[in-house]
Amino acid sequence: MIELKNLTKCFDGFTAVDHLSLSIESGEFFGLLGPNGAGKTTTISMISTVLLPTQGEILIDGKRLDRKASEQKRKLSVITQEYSMRQDMTMEEVMEYQGRLYFIPKKTIRQRTEALLEFAGLLEYRKRTVRHLSGGMKRKLMICRALLIEPEILLLDEPTAGMDALSRRQMWNLLRRLNRNHMTMILTTHYMEEAQALCGRVALINRGRLQKLDTPENLITELGAFAVDEFAGESLVSRYFHDREEAIRYLSGAGADAALRASTLEDVFVECAGRRLM
Amino acid sequence: MGIITVLWEKWTEFRRDFYKITVAAMISPLMYLIIFGMGIQTTSHGEPYLHFLIPGIVAMATMTGSFSAIAQNMSVQRLYEKALDQVMVSPTPLWQFILGQILGGSLRGLYAGGVILLLTFPIRTDLIFNGMSVLILFLNGMVFSTIALTLSFLAKSYTDAPRYTSYIIMPMSFLCNTFFSTDQMPNGFRQLISLLPLSQASGMVRSISNGEKPGSFGFVVLFLYLIVFGLISVLFIYKKKNL
Repeated sequence: MIELKNLTKCFDGFTAVDHLSLSIESGEFFGLLGPNGAGKTTTISMISTVLLPTQGEILIDGKRLDRKASEQKRKLSVITQEYSMRQDMTMEEVMEYQGRLYFIPKKTIRQRTEALLEFAGLLEYRKRTVRHLSGGMKRKLMICRALLIEPEILLLDEPTAGMDALSRRQMWNLLRRLNRNHMTMILTTHYMEEAQALCGRVALINRGRLQKLDTPENLITELGAFAVDEFAGESLVSRYFHDREEAIRYLSGAGADAALRASTLEDVFVECAGRRLM
Repeated sequence: MGIITVLWEKWTEFRRDFYKITVAAMISPLMYLIIFGMGIQTTSHGEPYLHFLIPGIVAMATMTGSFSAIAQNMSVQRLYEKALDQVMVSPTPLWQFILGQILGGSLRGLYAGGVILLLTFPIRTDLIFNGMSVLILFLNGMVFSTIALTLSFLAKSYTDAPRYTSYIIMPMSFLCNTFFSTDQMPNGFRQLISLLPLSQASGMVRSISNGEKPGSFGFVVLFLYLIVFGLISVLFIYKKKNL
């Protein structure tokens, strides 16, 4: 279990994460959602110990996580938003470096590297240096690198950013499969349909503060499972209803361009974060 | 174990950039040797100036080799490539990472010094270079790797590394017992310059090359720098909140 207790991070007087407290169960697929600058990446960076909290603490299986905590860090792997790799190393070297940093025997590193690069369709490029890879290939390599150590907890910071629709779906399938094998996932994403498709629970954060924490279904139900979109001037406005009949009644009195649809997590996000942004 | 990982990383880097590293290690020391040692032919204490110059240039080469191997690389890894994040999240104890960097940087410095020694080999100088000289050069490399590591943790942009070279390495190259003895400097300034690590390393290597025993004060100074900057590096990597 991962516990964030009163986690706070300040940069030169700006509070990026503000007294964030939540618990993530082992084997859970957990989403951390919020608008740009909400504090998602800062939170992931604190869990990966790249940043140290200004206040509060992180516990993994009841033990405090810090830069000395090798036992807890062994369980963690991270796929960062940026391509955090040596640009002058080949794919094979990137994988070997990762394996060595986690004290994995050389033979195992070689076997897992081959299997993972094969799976990602990168095996034939294994001698190519990172700086000569396309963005998509770098992203796949980062995933292979993170999986090499077979982590218990995988931190995913915008893992599908910049991926085409097909690659993204493949990635979703892979993440689901890993999660079924009890790998704990903490995902930050801008794609609400991704969070809705993958996450068992999501936390909506804005300006570093926790706004909502529940399953996507419960959050949608709380907002209203039915949405009517209509134009008010040039702006698209959505109204939410708990009851389908009520939504239809409203629709019949609305303009010709109004439409009824099922509410999504994106509606919850827009209602929660968007209002505050306006 | 973590130390071996870092040394492996340094080795892959060295293998890949072997020619670039070797040429870079040779150019400036070779220029100094040609211009000051062979072009402007002078004597020092009745001896050819080259006899004074070579030990200083070798010590200087270990300094620049070690410093540049770490300062530029670590700043880019930390601030541009974000590759240091991979190390931070891993279970490798960070003190081992630091020690690996220091040893790796020092070996690169030793290689640079070795290249210069090899180049000066055909010049018959009768200068002595022995195991103790290697030890001093290695220690000098460790000191400058550690300084480079500390500065790269302080860097706010990866373009800071060349600035550090201009502020630290360049003045030390010229002032610290490489081209002329610190004894010729004015009082006060002389004592200050003498306490800098390159002054001590050059002085000790030069003593050995002349068949004299190096003073122990030089070792004390080098070890002090190593301990102080080593501790600062370890403190930074464990405690710096925004690495």
